[in-house]
Amino acid sequence: MEYIESGRITLDRSKISQKVAYHDPCNYGRKSKEMFGYAYYHEPRWILNKCTPNWVDLEPSRNSQYCCGGGGGLMLTTLDDQREYYSRRKIEQIKHSGASLIVVPCHSCHGQIKAMAQKYNLPDIQVKYLWEVVADSLVVE
Amino acid sequence: MTENASSLIKHTALMRPDGHAADFCLGCGTCAAGCPMTGIDGFDPRKIVRMAMLGRDEQLAASSLPWLCTLCGRCENACPMGINIVGLIRSARGLTEKDKTPTAIRKGLEMLLETGNILGLPEEDFGFIITDVAEELNEQPGFEDFTVPLEKKDARLLCTLHNKLVNIQNEDLIHWWKIFHLADESWTLPARNWEGVNWGLFSGEDQVLKVAVDNIVQNMERLDARHLMYPE
Repeated sequence: MEYIESGRITLDRSKISQKVAYHDPCNYGRKSKEMFGYAYYHEPRWILNKCTPNWVDLEPSRNSQYCCGGGGGLMLTTLDDQREYYSRRKIEQIKHSGASLIVVPCHSCHGQIKAMAQKYNLPDIQVKYLWEVVADSLVVE
Repeated sequence: MTENASSLIKHTALMRPDGHAADFCLGCGTCAAGCPMTGIDGFDPRKIVRMAMLGRDEQLAASSLPWLCTLCGRCENACPMGINIVGLIRSARGLTEKDKTPTAIRKGLEMLLETGNILGLPEEDFGFIITDVAEELNEQPGFEDFTVPLEKKDARLLCTLHNKLVNIQNEDLIHWWKIFHLADESWTLPARNWEGVNWGLFSGEDQVLKVAVDNIVQNMERLDARHLMYPE
């Protein structure tokens, strides 16, 4: 935010053409609120909005956001069937948004949503990090 | 009525700042309704709270229940009594016998203690990967003179990395590098103990959690960095 506000980097809002949806990781929201008393819901959306005007929220979002299904070390266990079944709601939520690019600022969510889009036969769904979207929108002089 | 046994899980679970112990559970089931894992392999957060409340630590730690959870906190967010359900689950994980914790987590933690990163990647190989990816970025217009400031002293920002980025997702290293380069940021990457993922958090082992945090604190002090950046 500091880089964008102060003009240290410039972003081009027209580089991303597809419809984008934003996913809240538990660590930015519920966990952060519990541990530090503040949930980062506004900041990532503010940054995403500087990259593209064509973005939506998943429903439900923020405090009630559905978990990606890969956190807490579950991706490291052998409980793959359970993890896949768990994600059915997340995938439904993504389908419902109509977006083809899901933006996440978390490595676990990134890995899980990407893997589940494959499992549930949604090969056209792209998953990117928030900073990746920023890097893709950079104006390079 | 039988008396409840004392529960180590209940007492070692960190209290939420505004939270209460498991005993406050009303049994309302709001947590279970809000949890996406409820019903899968008999999972139910209310069951976990109840077991801790009754002091059934052994039974809980020996079951697969603590490991089915993603620690996402939806249950706690909904709980009208503010019970620290995620904390209970993490504490229960910490009581799981070593040979029964998931193999990948066990091995990663051993590597972390031994080498400072979960992959067990030697310092030399780490340096090679970083240089290699930086050279690839040099081929992109505008980034010809980019270099990674490894081990730079007095930087404003010290970065830690998710181990994925030096393992299967090398190509994702460059996003932050591009932003730093154009913003003319003063930053550094430590050559060792760069691991930003703390699996001690997942495994419930406070000792390992502390070692991973100490590694980062030592890097901050050694390089005199002012701010710290975590991968997520």
